[in-house]
Amino acid sequence: MASDLENLTKEFECLSISHCRMLPNFKKVTRMIKGLSINPIYETNWCDMPAEIKLECIEKMELNERLSLRCTAKAERSLVDSQKIKFDSWNNFYGREEELNFVHGGDSNKYFCNELKDMDEAVKFVNYMKKIGVFEGLSFSLEHPLIDNEHFAGDDGLFTVKTVEFSYCNVDNMIAILRKIRSGVESIDIGLSCEISDELAEILEIPQIQDVPYWHIYSYTGTDCLHKVAQMWIDRNSKIGSTFQTLTNYYETITDSFEEFSDHFADRIVSKSEKRVRIRTNNPDCHILLELGVNEVVTIDFFIQFFRFMVISATMKESEYDDNCKKWICYIAPEMQVYTAGHNYTSTLNFEIFRKL
Amino acid sequence: MSSTEQGTSSAAPAEPTTAPESAAAPEVPESFYYVHGKDKVVHKVSAGALQHSALIHGMISNLGYTEEQAKANPFPFENIDGDILQMVVDWCNQHKGKPTPPEDTNLPKQKEKLFDLVLAVNYLEIKELLTYCCKQVAMMVKGKSPEEIREIWMIPTDAEDEAAEKEAKKRAGKEAAGETAAAAGDAK
Repeated sequence: MASDLENLTKEFECLSISHCRMLPNFKKVTRMIKGLSINPIYETNWCDMPAEIKLECIEKMELNERLSLRCTAKAERSLVDSQKIKFDSWNNFYGREEELNFVHGGDSNKYFCNELKDMDEAVKFVNYMKKIGVFEGLSFSLEHPLIDNEHFAGDDGLFTVKTVEFSYCNVDNMIAILRKIRSGVESIDIGLSCEISDELAEILEIPQIQDVPYWHIYSYTGTDCLHKVAQMWIDRNSKIGSTFQTLTNYYETITDSFEEFSDHFADRIVSKSEKRVRIRTNNPDCHILLELGVNEVVTIDFFIQFFRFMVISATMKESEYDDNCKKWICYIAPEMQVYTAGHNYTSTLNFEIFRKL
Repeated sequence: MSSTEQGTSSAAPAEPTTAPESAAAPEVPESFYYVHGKDKVVHKVSAGALQHSALIHGMISNLGYTEEQAKANPFPFENIDGDILQMVVDWCNQHKGKPTPPEDTNLPKQKEKLFDLVLAVNYLEIKELLTYCCKQVAMMVKGKSPEEIREIWMIPTDAEDEAAEKEAKKRAGKEAAGETAAAAGDAK
Protein backbone atom coordinates (compact mmCIF):
# COMPACT_ATOMS: atom_id res chain seq x y z
CA MET A 1 0.00 0.00 0.00
CA ALA A 2 2.74 2.42 1.00
CA SER A 3 4.73 1.65 -2.13
CA ASP A 4 1.60 2.08 -4.24
CA LEU A 5 1.18 5.44 -2.73
CA GLU A 6 4.77 6.43 -3.39
CA ASN A 7 4.56 5.23 -7.00
CA LEU A 8 1.39 7.16 -7.52
CA THR A 9 2.91 10.24 -5.96
CA LYS A 10 5.85 9.96 -8.37
CA GLU A 11 3.45 9.59 -11.26
CA PHE A 12 1.64 12.66 -10.15
CA GLU A 13 4.87 14.61 -10.04
CA CYS A 14 5.31 14.02 -13.76
CA LEU A 15 1.96 15.50 -14.57
CA SER A 16 1.09 19.03 -15.49
CA ILE A 17 1.13 21.90 -13.01
CA SER A 18 -2.61 21.88 -12.76
CA HIS A 19 -2.57 18.21 -11.77
CA CYS A 20 0.27 18.81 -9.34
CA ARG A 21 -2.08 20.93 -7.31
CA MET A 22 -3.85 17.71 -6.37
CA LEU A 23 -0.76 16.17 -4.81
CA PRO A 24 -1.06 17.57 -1.33
CA ASN A 25 -4.74 16.61 -1.30
CA PHE A 26 -4.02 13.07 -2.31
CA LYS A 27 -1.36 12.52 0.34
CA LYS A 28 -3.45 14.30 2.86
CA VAL A 29 -6.50 12.12 2.37
CA THR A 30 -4.74 8.87 3.17
CA ARG A 31 -2.83 10.47 6.02
CA MET A 32 -5.99 12.02 7.40
CA ILE A 33 -7.87 8.75 7.31
CA LYS A 34 -5.05 6.90 9.04
CA GLY A 35 -4.62 9.65 11.60
CA LEU A 36 -8.31 9.95 12.32
CA SER A 37 -9.11 6.28 12.55
CA ILE A 38 -10.99 5.29 15.65
CA ASN A 39 -9.12 3.26 18.19
CA PRO A 40 -9.93 -0.44 18.11
CA ILE A 41 -12.61 -1.28 20.62
CA TYR A 42 -13.46 -4.80 21.51
CA GLU A 43 -16.82 -5.88 22.89
CA THR A 44 -18.12 -2.39 22.23
CA ASN A 45 -20.73 -1.33 24.73
CA TRP A 46 -22.60 1.70 26.02
CA CYS A 47 -19.69 2.72 28.24
CA ASP A 48 -17.40 2.85 25.20
CA MET A 49 -19.56 5.41 23.45
CA PRO A 50 -18.38 9.02 23.41
CA ALA A 51 -20.53 11.38 25.45
CA GLU A 52 -21.89 13.17 22.38
CA ILE A 53 -23.21 9.89 20.96
CA LYS A 54 -24.71 8.91 24.30
CA LEU A 55 -26.47 12.27 24.38
CA GLU A 56 -27.85 11.73 20.91
CA CYS A 57 -29.23 8.35 22.03
CA ILE A 58 -30.64 9.87 25.22
CA GLU A 59 -32.37 12.49 23.12
CA LYS A 60 -34.25 9.69 21.37
CA MET A 61 -35.42 8.15 24.66
CA GLU A 62 -38.72 8.82 26.32
CA LEU A 63 -39.04 10.04 29.87
CA ASN A 64 -39.37 6.61 31.48
CA GLU A 65 -36.17 5.29 29.92
CA ARG A 66 -34.29 8.47 30.76
CA LEU A 67 -35.36 8.21 34.38
CA SER A 68 -34.25 4.58 34.46
CA LEU A 69 -30.91 5.33 32.84
CA ARG A 70 -30.15 8.14 35.26
CA CYS A 71 -30.60 5.67 38.12
CA THR A 72 -27.90 3.32 36.85
CA ALA A 73 -24.80 5.35 37.78
CA LYS A 74 -23.65 8.86 38.68
CA ALA A 75 -22.00 9.41 35.31
CA GLU A 76 -25.19 8.45 33.46
CA ARG A 77 -27.23 10.66 35.75
CA SER A 78 -25.21 13.76 34.95
CA LEU A 79 -25.40 12.99 31.24
CA VAL A 80 -29.17 12.48 31.30
CA ASP A 81 -29.64 15.63 33.37
CA SER A 82 -27.65 17.70 30.91
CA GLN A 83 -30.10 16.89 28.13
CA LYS A 84 -33.42 18.69 27.72
CA ILE A 85 -36.48 16.64 26.85
CA LYS A 86 -39.27 17.90 24.62
CA PHE A 87 -42.78 17.19 25.82
CA ASP A 88 -45.21 17.58 22.97
CA SER A 89 -48.98 17.33 23.36
CA TRP A 90 -50.53 17.58 26.80
CA ASN A 91 -48.79 17.31 30.14
CA ASN A 92 -50.44 17.57 33.48
CA PHE A 93 -49.37 17.94 37.08
CA TYR A 94 -52.24 17.16 39.40
CA GLY A 95 -52.32 16.58 43.10
CA ARG A 96 -54.64 16.23 46.03
CA GLU A 97 -53.88 16.13 49.72
CA GLU A 98 -50.87 13.88 49.95
CA GLU A 99 -49.91 12.93 46.45
CA LEU A 100 -48.80 14.44 43.20
CA ASN A 101 -49.06 12.97 39.73
CA PHE A 102 -47.47 13.86 36.47
CA VAL A 103 -49.08 12.57 33.30
CA HIS A 104 -47.97 13.16 29.77
CA GLY A 105 -48.90 11.75 26.42
CA GLY A 106 -45.96 10.08 24.75
CA ASP A 107 -45.68 8.58 21.30
CA SER A 108 -48.26 6.11 20.01
CA ASN A 109 -50.85 7.56 22.41
CA LYS A 110 -49.14 5.95 25.37
CA TYR A 111 -48.78 8.00 28.47
CA PHE A 112 -46.44 8.21 31.37
CA CYS A 113 -47.82 8.61 34.86
CA ASN A 114 -45.69 9.22 37.90
CA GLU A 115 -47.54 9.02 41.18
CA LEU A 116 -45.61 10.31 44.16
CA LYS A 117 -47.01 10.12 47.65
CA ASP A 118 -44.09 11.62 49.52
CA MET A 119 -44.42 15.39 49.01
CA ASP A 120 -40.72 16.15 49.26
CA GLU A 121 -40.04 13.54 46.59
CA ALA A 122 -42.92 14.89 44.52
CA VAL A 123 -41.64 18.44 44.66
CA LYS A 124 -38.13 17.28 43.81
CA PHE A 125 -39.66 15.62 40.77
CA VAL A 126 -41.44 18.85 39.81
CA ASN A 127 -38.13 20.70 40.13
CA TYR A 128 -36.43 18.06 38.01
CA MET A 129 -39.06 18.44 35.31
CA LYS A 130 -38.55 22.20 35.38
CA LYS A 131 -34.88 21.64 34.77
CA ILE A 132 -35.06 19.17 31.91
CA GLY A 133 -38.46 19.72 30.33
CA VAL A 134 -39.34 21.83 27.33
CA PHE A 135 -43.12 21.72 27.33
CA GLU A 136 -45.51 22.44 24.52
CA GLY A 137 -48.41 22.59 26.94
CA LEU A 138 -48.55 22.20 30.70
CA SER A 139 -51.55 22.11 32.94
CA PHE A 140 -51.67 22.28 36.72
CA SER A 141 -54.42 21.04 39.01
CA LEU A 142 -52.83 21.28 42.41
CA GLU A 143 -54.85 21.69 45.54
CA HIS A 144 -52.19 21.18 48.17
CA PRO A 145 -49.94 24.09 49.00
CA LEU A 146 -46.88 23.59 46.86
CA ILE A 147 -45.63 27.04 47.74
CA ASP A 148 -45.05 26.05 51.38
CA ASN A 149 -42.63 23.35 50.37
CA GLU A 150 -39.06 24.48 50.92
CA HIS A 151 -37.82 22.40 47.98
CA PHE A 152 -40.16 24.27 45.63
CA ALA A 153 -39.70 27.73 47.10
CA GLY A 154 -35.93 27.37 47.26
CA ASP A 155 -35.47 26.08 43.74
CA ASP A 156 -34.63 28.75 41.18
CA GLY A 157 -35.36 26.62 38.08
CA LEU A 158 -38.00 27.81 35.63
CA PHE A 159 -40.51 25.96 33.48
CA THR A 160 -39.91 26.29 29.74
CA VAL A 161 -43.38 26.13 28.29
CA LYS A 162 -45.50 27.56 25.49
CA THR A 163 -49.00 27.15 26.87
CA VAL A 164 -49.93 27.00 30.54
CA GLU A 165 -53.27 26.05 31.97
CA PHE A 166 -54.49 26.12 35.57
CA SER A 167 -57.64 24.34 36.60
CA TYR A 168 -58.88 23.52 40.08
CA CYS A 169 -55.71 25.07 41.34
CA ASN A 170 -54.98 26.56 44.71
CA VAL A 171 -54.45 30.25 43.93
CA ASP A 172 -51.24 30.47 45.97
CA ASN A 173 -49.86 27.54 43.99
CA MET A 174 -50.89 29.20 40.78
CA ILE A 175 -49.08 32.43 41.64
CA ALA A 176 -45.99 30.52 42.77
CA ILE A 177 -45.96 28.55 39.52
CA LEU A 178 -46.55 31.64 37.37
CA ARG A 179 -43.44 33.15 38.93
CA LYS A 180 -41.50 30.06 37.97
CA ILE A 181 -42.26 30.20 34.27
CA ARG A 182 -39.59 31.31 31.86
CA SER A 183 -40.45 34.36 29.79
CA GLY A 184 -41.60 33.56 26.29
CA VAL A 185 -44.78 31.76 27.28
CA GLU A 186 -47.37 32.29 24.56
CA SER A 187 -50.61 31.62 26.33
CA ILE A 188 -51.90 31.38 29.90
CA ASP A 189 -55.28 29.90 30.74
CA ILE A 190 -56.62 30.43 34.24
CA GLY A 191 -59.42 27.95 34.35
CA LEU A 192 -62.51 27.13 36.26
CA SER A 193 -62.34 26.96 40.05
CA CYS A 194 -59.28 29.14 40.25
CA GLU A 195 -60.92 31.92 42.22
CA ILE A 196 -58.57 34.86 41.85
CA SER A 197 -60.69 37.96 42.36
CA ASP A 198 -58.84 38.90 45.54
CA GLU A 199 -55.42 38.24 44.07
CA LEU A 200 -55.84 39.89 40.66
CA ALA A 201 -53.60 42.85 41.51
CA GLU A 202 -50.87 40.47 42.65
CA ILE A 203 -51.24 38.39 39.48
CA LEU A 204 -51.03 41.45 37.25
CA GLU A 205 -47.65 42.28 38.71
CA ILE A 206 -46.15 38.98 37.55
CA PRO A 207 -43.91 39.66 34.52
CA GLN A 208 -45.03 36.47 32.75
CA ILE A 209 -48.64 37.76 32.84
CA GLN A 210 -47.60 41.24 31.77
CA ASP A 211 -45.74 39.99 28.72
CA VAL A 212 -47.85 37.05 27.56
CA PRO A 213 -49.48 37.65 24.15
CA TYR A 214 -52.69 35.83 25.14
CA TRP A 215 -54.26 34.95 28.47
CA HIS A 216 -57.69 34.40 29.87
CA ILE A 217 -59.54 33.91 33.10
CA TYR A 218 -62.33 31.41 32.72
CA SER A 219 -64.55 32.95 35.31
CA TYR A 220 -64.19 36.18 37.22
CA THR A 221 -66.51 37.34 39.94
CA GLY A 222 -65.43 40.95 40.44
CA THR A 223 -66.25 43.95 38.28
CA ASP A 224 -62.76 45.40 38.35
CA CYS A 225 -61.07 42.83 36.11
CA LEU A 226 -61.52 44.65 32.81
CA HIS A 227 -60.13 48.01 33.79
CA LYS A 228 -57.28 46.53 35.84
CA VAL A 229 -56.01 44.50 32.90
CA ALA A 230 -56.39 47.51 30.60
CA GLN A 231 -54.52 49.71 33.05
CA MET A 232 -51.69 47.18 33.26
CA TRP A 233 -51.41 47.20 29.45
CA ILE A 234 -51.42 51.01 29.39
CA ASP A 235 -48.71 51.17 32.05
CA ARG A 236 -46.64 48.50 30.27
CA ASN A 237 -47.18 49.97 26.80
CA SER A 238 -48.09 46.44 25.70
CA LYS A 239 -47.65 45.32 22.13
CA ILE A 240 -50.37 45.40 19.49
CA GLY A 241 -52.03 42.00 19.48
CA SER A 242 -51.89 41.44 23.24
CA THR A 243 -55.17 39.76 24.07
CA PHE A 244 -57.11 38.97 27.21
CA GLN A 245 -60.45 37.19 27.52
CA THR A 246 -62.73 36.43 30.39
CA LEU A 247 -66.25 35.25 31.03
CA THR A 248 -68.56 35.72 33.92
CA ASN A 249 -71.90 34.33 35.00
CA TYR A 250 -72.31 36.50 38.05
CA TYR A 251 -75.26 38.82 37.57
CA GLU A 252 -73.60 41.82 39.15
CA THR A 253 -70.41 41.33 37.15
CA ILE A 254 -72.38 41.04 33.93
CA THR A 255 -74.31 44.19 34.46
CA ASP A 256 -71.53 46.29 35.92
CA SER A 257 -68.27 45.28 34.24
CA PHE A 258 -68.85 46.96 30.92
CA GLU A 259 -70.14 50.16 32.48
CA GLU A 260 -67.43 50.24 35.10
CA PHE A 261 -64.83 49.96 32.40
CA SER A 262 -66.39 52.84 30.45
CA ASP A 263 -66.62 55.00 33.55
CA HIS A 264 -63.07 54.23 34.61
CA PHE A 265 -61.66 55.29 31.27
CA ALA A 266 -64.23 57.99 30.46
CA ASP A 267 -61.49 60.46 29.53
CA ARG A 268 -59.83 57.98 27.17
CA ILE A 269 -62.85 56.77 25.21
CA VAL A 270 -62.43 56.96 21.46
CA SER A 271 -65.71 55.27 20.58
CA LYS A 272 -68.42 53.34 22.37
CA SER A 273 -71.31 51.14 21.25
CA GLU A 274 -73.53 48.49 22.81
CA LYS A 275 -70.85 45.84 22.50
CA ARG A 276 -67.58 47.72 22.08
CA VAL A 277 -65.54 50.34 23.87
CA ARG A 278 -62.34 51.68 22.35
CA ILE A 279 -59.92 53.68 24.45
CA ARG A 280 -56.65 55.53 23.95
CA THR A 281 -53.47 54.43 25.60
CA ASN A 282 -50.44 56.58 26.40
CA ASN A 283 -48.90 55.37 23.15
CA PRO A 284 -50.44 57.31 20.23
CA ASP A 285 -49.99 54.23 18.01
CA CYS A 286 -52.06 51.90 20.18
CA HIS A 287 -55.64 51.69 21.32
CA ILE A 288 -57.37 49.10 23.49
CA LEU A 289 -60.58 47.55 22.27
CA LEU A 290 -63.02 45.90 24.69
CA GLU A 291 -65.58 43.69 23.04
CA LEU A 292 -68.63 42.01 24.49
CA GLY A 293 -69.23 38.67 22.82
CA VAL A 294 -72.83 38.77 21.65
CA ASN A 295 -74.54 37.13 18.74
CA GLU A 296 -77.88 35.48 17.98
CA VAL A 297 -77.34 32.81 20.67
CA VAL A 298 -75.24 34.54 23.28
CA THR A 299 -77.44 37.61 23.52
CA ILE A 300 -76.97 40.64 25.71
CA ASP A 301 -79.32 38.98 28.26
CA PHE A 302 -77.56 35.63 28.23
CA PHE A 303 -76.64 34.50 31.73
CA ILE A 304 -72.98 34.19 30.81
CA GLN A 305 -71.12 37.05 29.22
CA PHE A 306 -67.86 36.89 27.33
CA PHE A 307 -65.37 39.75 27.15
CA ARG A 308 -62.35 40.17 24.94
CA PHE A 309 -59.66 42.80 25.16
CA MET A 310 -57.07 43.55 22.54
CA VAL A 311 -54.34 46.08 22.04
CA ILE A 312 -54.99 47.32 18.52
CA SER A 313 -53.39 49.77 16.15
CA ALA A 314 -54.69 53.31 16.54
CA THR A 315 -55.24 53.34 12.79
CA MET A 316 -57.57 50.31 12.81
CA LYS A 317 -60.93 51.21 11.27
CA GLU A 318 -64.26 50.17 12.75
CA SER A 319 -65.01 48.36 9.50
CA GLU A 320 -62.07 46.09 10.31
CA TYR A 321 -63.60 44.85 13.57
CA ASP A 322 -64.26 41.12 13.71
CA ASP A 323 -67.98 40.64 14.14
CA ASN A 324 -67.74 36.88 14.40
CA CYS A 325 -67.34 36.42 18.13
CA LYS A 326 -68.17 32.70 18.00
CA LYS A 327 -64.54 31.81 17.31
CA TRP A 328 -63.08 33.58 20.30
CA ILE A 329 -65.95 32.60 22.60
CA CYS A 330 -65.34 28.95 21.74
CA TYR A 331 -61.62 29.41 22.34
CA ILE A 332 -62.16 30.29 25.97
CA ALA A 333 -65.16 27.94 26.33
CA PRO A 334 -65.02 25.16 23.72
CA GLU A 335 -68.25 23.75 25.13
CA MET A 336 -70.05 26.76 23.68
CA GLN A 337 -69.55 25.25 20.23
CA VAL A 338 -72.72 23.23 20.76
CA TYR A 339 -74.76 26.19 21.91
CA THR A 340 -73.55 28.68 19.38
CA ALA A 341 -74.48 26.08 16.78
CA GLY A 342 -78.05 26.39 18.07
CA HIS A 343 -78.50 22.99 19.70
CA ASN A 344 -80.08 22.22 23.06
CA TYR A 345 -80.07 25.77 24.23
CA THR A 346 -81.75 26.18 27.59
CA SER A 347 -81.72 29.09 29.95
CA THR A 348 -81.50 26.75 32.94
CA LEU A 349 -78.18 25.39 31.81
CA ASN A 350 -76.01 24.23 34.69
CA PHE A 351 -72.79 26.20 34.74
CA GLU A 352 -70.88 22.99 35.50
CA ILE A 353 -71.34 21.81 31.95
CA PHE A 354 -68.81 24.42 30.95
CA ARG A 355 -66.18 22.70 32.96
CA LYS A 356 -63.09 22.34 30.84
CA LEU A 357 -62.11 18.75 30.26
CA MET B 1 -2.56 -6.24 -1.26
CA SER B 2 -5.02 -9.03 -1.67
CA SER B 3 -8.40 -7.57 -2.05
CA THR B 4 -11.87 -8.60 -3.03
CA GLU B 5 -13.75 -5.97 -4.89
CA GLN B 6 -17.31 -5.56 -3.76
CA GLY B 7 -20.05 -3.07 -4.20
CA THR B 8 -21.32 -1.69 -7.44
CA SER B 9 -20.30 -3.50 -10.58
CA SER B 10 -18.67 -1.51 -13.35
CA ALA B 11 -16.31 1.39 -12.93
CA ALA B 12 -15.80 2.00 -16.63
CA PRO B 13 -17.14 5.23 -18.00
CA ALA B 14 -20.36 4.73 -19.91
CA GLU B 15 -20.04 4.41 -23.67
CA PRO B 16 -21.10 7.62 -25.33
CA THR B 17 -24.47 7.14 -26.89
CA THR B 18 -25.83 8.86 -29.93
CA ALA B 19 -27.69 11.71 -28.39
CA PRO B 20 -30.65 13.29 -30.08
CA GLU B 21 -29.85 16.64 -31.58
CA SER B 22 -31.99 18.55 -29.15
CA ALA B 23 -30.43 16.87 -26.09
CA ALA B 24 -28.41 18.85 -23.59
CA ALA B 25 -24.76 18.22 -22.72
CA PRO B 26 -23.82 14.51 -22.37
CA GLU B 27 -24.04 13.04 -18.87
CA VAL B 28 -20.80 13.07 -16.91
CA PRO B 29 -19.88 9.48 -16.02
CA GLU B 30 -20.13 8.77 -12.32
CA SER B 31 -16.84 8.53 -10.47
CA PHE B 32 -16.09 5.78 -8.00
CA TYR B 33 -13.87 5.44 -4.97
CA TYR B 34 -12.64 2.47 -3.04
CA VAL B 35 -12.61 1.88 0.69
CA HIS B 36 -11.49 -0.98 2.87
CA GLY B 37 -11.82 -1.83 6.51
CA LYS B 38 -9.84 -3.93 8.94
CA ASP B 39 -10.33 -7.05 6.81
CA LYS B 40 -8.79 -5.34 3.73
CA VAL B 41 -11.82 -6.24 1.62
CA VAL B 42 -12.19 -3.40 -0.84
CA HIS B 43 -15.59 -1.91 -1.50
CA LYS B 44 -16.29 0.15 -4.56
CA VAL B 45 -18.56 3.08 -3.82
CA SER B 46 -19.82 5.81 -6.10
CA ALA B 47 -19.10 9.43 -5.26
CA GLY B 48 -22.87 9.91 -5.08
CA ALA B 49 -23.23 7.29 -2.37
CA LEU B 50 -20.25 8.67 -0.49
CA GLN B 51 -21.94 12.03 -0.27
CA HIS B 52 -23.72 10.65 2.78
CA SER B 53 -20.39 10.68 4.61
CA ALA B 54 -19.43 14.26 5.37
CA LEU B 55 -15.91 13.08 6.27
CA ILE B 56 -15.21 11.30 2.99
CA HIS B 57 -17.13 13.77 0.88
CA GLY B 58 -15.08 16.63 2.34
CA MET B 59 -11.86 14.82 1.59
CA ILE B 60 -12.60 13.68 -1.94
CA SER B 61 -14.23 16.81 -3.28
CA ASN B 62 -12.03 18.31 -6.00
CA LEU B 63 -9.57 15.45 -5.62
CA GLY B 64 -9.78 14.59 -9.33
CA TYR B 65 -8.82 10.91 -9.07
CA THR B 66 -8.82 8.86 -12.21
CA GLU B 67 -10.53 5.49 -11.96
CA GLU B 68 -7.15 3.74 -11.87
CA GLN B 69 -5.74 5.98 -9.20
CA ALA B 70 -8.79 5.51 -7.03
CA LYS B 71 -8.70 1.75 -7.49
CA ALA B 72 -5.02 1.54 -6.66
CA ASN B 73 -5.44 3.55 -3.50
CA PRO B 74 -8.51 2.52 -1.55
CA PHE B 75 -9.17 4.65 1.50
CA PRO B 76 -8.01 2.66 4.50
CA PHE B 77 -10.38 2.54 7.43
CA GLU B 78 -8.21 0.14 9.39
CA ASN B 79 -10.19 0.26 12.58
CA ILE B 80 -13.62 -0.37 11.16
CA ASP B 81 -14.55 -4.03 11.02
CA GLY B 82 -15.10 -5.31 7.51
CA ASP B 83 -18.70 -6.34 8.11
CA ILE B 84 -19.49 -2.98 9.65
CA LEU B 85 -17.98 -1.11 6.71
CA GLN B 86 -19.98 -3.38 4.42
CA MET B 87 -23.17 -2.33 6.22
CA VAL B 88 -22.23 1.33 5.87
CA VAL B 89 -21.43 0.96 2.17
CA ASP B 90 -24.68 -0.92 1.57
CA TRP B 91 -26.65 1.78 3.33
CA CYS B 92 -24.94 4.55 1.37
CA ASN B 93 -25.61 2.71 -1.90
CA GLN B 94 -29.24 2.05 -1.01
CA HIS B 95 -29.88 5.66 -0.13
CA LYS B 96 -27.85 7.24 -2.90
CA GLY B 97 -29.65 10.31 -4.18
CA LYS B 98 -32.83 9.40 -2.34
CA PRO B 99 -34.56 11.19 0.50
CA THR B 100 -34.00 9.19 3.69
CA PRO B 101 -37.14 7.55 5.12
CA PRO B 102 -38.32 8.44 8.63
CA GLU B 103 -37.29 5.03 9.96
CA ASP B 104 -34.80 2.34 9.06
CA THR B 105 -35.65 -1.13 10.21
CA ASN B 106 -32.64 -2.89 8.67
CA LEU B 107 -30.17 -2.00 11.38
CA PRO B 108 -28.50 -4.75 13.38
CA LYS B 109 -30.32 -5.88 16.50
CA GLN B 110 -27.21 -7.38 18.05
CA LYS B 111 -25.86 -4.98 20.66
CA GLU B 112 -22.12 -5.11 19.87
CA LYS B 113 -22.72 -4.81 16.13
CA LEU B 114 -25.00 -1.84 16.64
CA PHE B 115 -22.52 -0.05 18.88
CA ASP B 116 -19.71 -0.74 16.40
CA LEU B 117 -21.89 0.64 13.64
CA VAL B 118 -22.64 3.74 15.72
CA LEU B 119 -18.94 4.40 16.24
CA ALA B 120 -18.12 3.88 12.57
CA VAL B 121 -21.00 6.03 11.39
CA ASN B 122 -20.11 8.76 13.84
CA TYR B 123 -16.52 8.70 12.62
CA LEU B 124 -17.58 8.77 8.98
CA GLU B 125 -20.04 11.56 9.79
CA ILE B 126 -23.10 9.99 8.19
CA LYS B 127 -25.70 12.09 9.94
CA GLU B 128 -28.91 10.35 8.84
CA LEU B 129 -27.61 6.86 9.57
CA LEU B 130 -26.34 8.02 12.95
CA THR B 131 -29.82 9.27 13.78
CA TYR B 132 -31.32 5.86 12.92
CA CYS B 133 -28.64 4.06 14.91
CA CYS B 134 -29.14 6.22 17.98
CA LYS B 135 -32.86 5.64 17.77
CA GLN B 136 -32.21 1.91 17.62
CA VAL B 137 -29.90 2.13 20.65
CA ALA B 138 -32.62 4.01 22.55
CA MET B 139 -35.14 1.31 21.58
CA MET B 140 -32.94 -1.35 23.17
CA VAL B 141 -33.89 -0.12 26.63
CA LYS B 142 -37.51 0.75 26.00
CA GLY B 143 -39.56 -0.12 29.06
CA LYS B 144 -36.52 -1.40 30.97
CA SER B 145 -35.75 -0.81 34.64
CA PRO B 146 -32.44 0.68 35.81
CA GLU B 147 -31.21 -2.81 36.74
CA GLU B 148 -32.15 -4.21 33.36
CA ILE B 149 -30.46 -1.30 31.57
CA ARG B 150 -27.32 -1.80 33.65
CA GLU B 151 -27.31 -5.45 32.68
CA ILE B 152 -28.03 -4.92 28.97
CA TRP B 153 -25.45 -2.19 28.53
CA MET B 154 -23.01 -3.51 31.14
CA ILE B 155 -22.96 -0.24 33.03
CA PRO B 156 -20.86 -0.60 36.18
CA THR B 157 -22.37 0.56 39.47
CA ASP B 158 -20.81 3.55 41.21
CA ALA B 159 -19.20 1.14 43.71
CA GLU B 160 -17.70 -0.90 40.87
CA ASP B 161 -16.48 2.28 39.21
CA GLU B 162 -14.84 3.47 42.41
CA ALA B 163 -13.21 0.07 43.00
CA ALA B 164 -11.86 0.03 39.44
CA GLU B 165 -10.52 3.55 39.85
CA LYS B 166 -8.79 2.61 43.13
CA GLU B 167 -7.31 -0.46 41.51
CA ALA B 168 -6.02 1.59 38.57
CA LYS B 169 -4.42 4.14 40.93
CA LYS B 170 -2.84 1.33 42.95
CA ARG B 171 -1.43 -0.24 39.80
CA ALA B 172 -0.11 3.08 38.53
CA GLY B 173 1.54 3.70 41.91
CA LYS B 174 3.21 0.28 41.86
CA GLU B 175 4.43 0.81 38.30
CA ALA B 176 5.83 4.22 39.21
CA ALA B 177 7.59 2.75 42.26
CA GLY B 178 9.02 -0.05 40.10
CA GLU B 179 10.34 2.44 37.58
CA THR B 180 11.95 4.54 40.35
CA ALA B 181 13.62 1.45 41.81
CA ALA B 182 14.86 0.39 38.38
CA ALA B 183 16.24 3.87 37.71
CA ALA B 184 18.01 3.84 41.11
CA GLY B 185 19.50 0.39 40.31
CA ASP B 186 20.74 1.68 36.96
CA ALA B 187 22.34 4.68 38.64
CA LYS B 188 24.26 2.41 41.02
